[in-house]
Amino acid sequence: MVSGRFPILELRGLTKRFGELAAVDAVDLDILEGEFFTIVGPSGSGKTTVLRMLAGMESPSSGDILLKGERINDVPANRRPTCMVFQSLALFPHRTVGQNIEFALKIRGDAAASRRARAFELMDLLRLPRSYYKRGVTQISGGERQRVALARAFAYDPQILFFDEPLSAIDYKLRKTLEKELKDIHRETGKTFVYITHSLEEAMVMSDRIGVMRAGRLVQVGTPHEIYTEPRDKFVSEFMGEVNVIDVVADADGLLFAEAFGTRLTAPAHRRGFQKGHLVIRPESLRFLERPEQAENRFEGTLYNEYVLGSRIQYQVRVGEHVFAVERLRQHAFGGRLDDRVLIGWNAVDSILVEE
Amino acid sequence: MGMDAQQRRWVKPLIVAWTAAICLFLYMPVAAAALASLSQSRYFTFPVAKWSTVWWGKTFDSIQIRELIETSITIAMLVTAISVVLAFFGALAFARYRWRGRSLYQRLVLLPIFFPQSVLGLALLLWFSALGLTLSWQTAVFAHLVWIVPVATLVIAIQVYSFDPALEEAAADLGASRWQVLKEVTLPVLWPGIFSGALFSFLLSWGNFPLSLFTTGADSTVPEYLYAKMIAGYTPGVPVLGTVSTLGAAVLLLGGYGLITVIRRARGT
Repeated sequence: MVSGRFPILELRGLTKRFGELAAVDAVDLDILEGEFFTIVGPSGSGKTTVLRMLAGMESPSSGDILLKGERINDVPANRRPTCMVFQSLALFPHRTVGQNIEFALKIRGDAAASRRARAFELMDLLRLPRSYYKRGVTQISGGERQRVALARAFAYDPQILFFDEPLSAIDYKLRKTLEKELKDIHRETGKTFVYITHSLEEAMVMSDRIGVMRAGRLVQVGTPHEIYTEPRDKFVSEFMGEVNVIDVVADADGLLFAEAFGTRLTAPAHRRGFQKGHLVIRPESLRFLERPEQAENRFEGTLYNEYVLGSRIQYQVRVGEHVFAVERLRQHAFGGRLDDRVLIGWNAVDSILVEE
Repeated sequence: MGMDAQQRRWVKPLIVAWTAAICLFLYMPVAAAALASLSQSRYFTFPVAKWSTVWWGKTFDSIQIRELIETSITIAMLVTAISVVLAFFGALAFARYRWRGRSLYQRLVLLPIFFPQSVLGLALLLWFSALGLTLSWQTAVFAHLVWIVPVATLVIAIQVYSFDPALEEAAADLGASRWQVLKEVTLPVLWPGIFSGALFSFLLSWGNFPLSLFTTGADSTVPEYLYAKMIAGYTPGVPVLGTVSTLGAAVLLLGGYGLITVIRRARGT
């Protein structure tokens, strides 16, 4: 979906230091024309600082930002053909919906009639009723404010739109709707979107590609599928949501040994010289077994608890000190009772091996 | 909690009565001054024996009193204009931006509020004479500023603290220059705070006595005149002028906040 496009934005060794601390540490990244790229990371990972540098609100300590091949390090925010949708949305509280949307056009000096026409066009695109034009921005709902913020950014006609976690303060149900809406709008407009969030789940829903950040560094870049199926390390795999992680070391024969369980495990192929790492098994890849031979790897444990997660049910199985999470679709609920002895297992292909 | 209906029935009238008593206590002196101004007698007696508006007429006809009011208004308007400008940028400096020495700066700027005003007035008097300045209403403007700028800064800062800096960034991001950001976003959003600051500046200057006493020289303001007349040469003209001064301030204050409320409603915040 993304291949064959040229990079609209290039980050070259982009670094930002606050005193001793490198909030962003030598980040190299190409963002392609027209793609929906999401930078995801926990708070303090430097993702917001990256975005603020791209938007021109912070200046890099070193490294370069190239927009269509031109260095824009020293171009101030008001001269960059990019626009940001803020976490707080930053709608102007003293202005109406219409005036907010038209802000960039007014600054540019457009006539009132053409500003209004453009505002109506954008309100139609974002499914905001035209009757809202004269409303105060504090008199509309959270989802509508979101759309006004988007319309205001589109009115600037930016080449790239930046999003600073604009959905983080919105309740779950509305957020899910808006995530899909944003992806639809991305499709309809064909603009380049650069989004940041701390929620990989949110990133998965919307993005063409994802960059995972940790402690100022870009840990992995890939499509949602690549990130999901081939996380580069334990951090990325755990960031994806709840996973089962087993620490493993290579023994003399090059086979993987789980010291915590005192047993060998059948794992996906690994490179020669692999010494230690983690075997990651998603809860939905773990199964309850009726007979030991149904899976390549297996443990016997106690069914400790179960949680209903909407369409899925999660079971906690205790194996010694270790707790495993096993998930099943609700219609395939496991019949066992709490404190039953159960057998769980998985095949090598359903696990991911990450090196330390 | 644990309060039965019987008790609860008494609580509300008690609160109402207490509030009324406090208001009475606060406003009685002002009302008494207004009543005293309506006496025909030259001397202040209570209860008033003979009612009359004769001193109101005399006061409004007096050229001296018109000059007093003019001087007070001139000082107050100049003080308002200068303190709002200084206080606006001063408040932005510590409530909007983060920088080293910010909290020290904040304390230094706000400290003069707590100086005893008579001491401040005397200190300024000594300072003016050391500089060889002739005392007049102009020196009083300066003296008022020393005390009122910090108050106005505090009043405006309260509004600045609730200001989302992202608003300025958003405006700049949408193409606005620094000046356009200030004109289109910062000033209009902070306007109610700036207006409050202006109102405070005007009224504090208008009613100020201790600083004016030391620094107006040959000129005189309304509070100075009232004080002098109370010490020697009392007439019911004193409570007339006092009442006019108080009523004027009250109208300005209530009108000003009425205006802010109307605008806030219109904005829907």
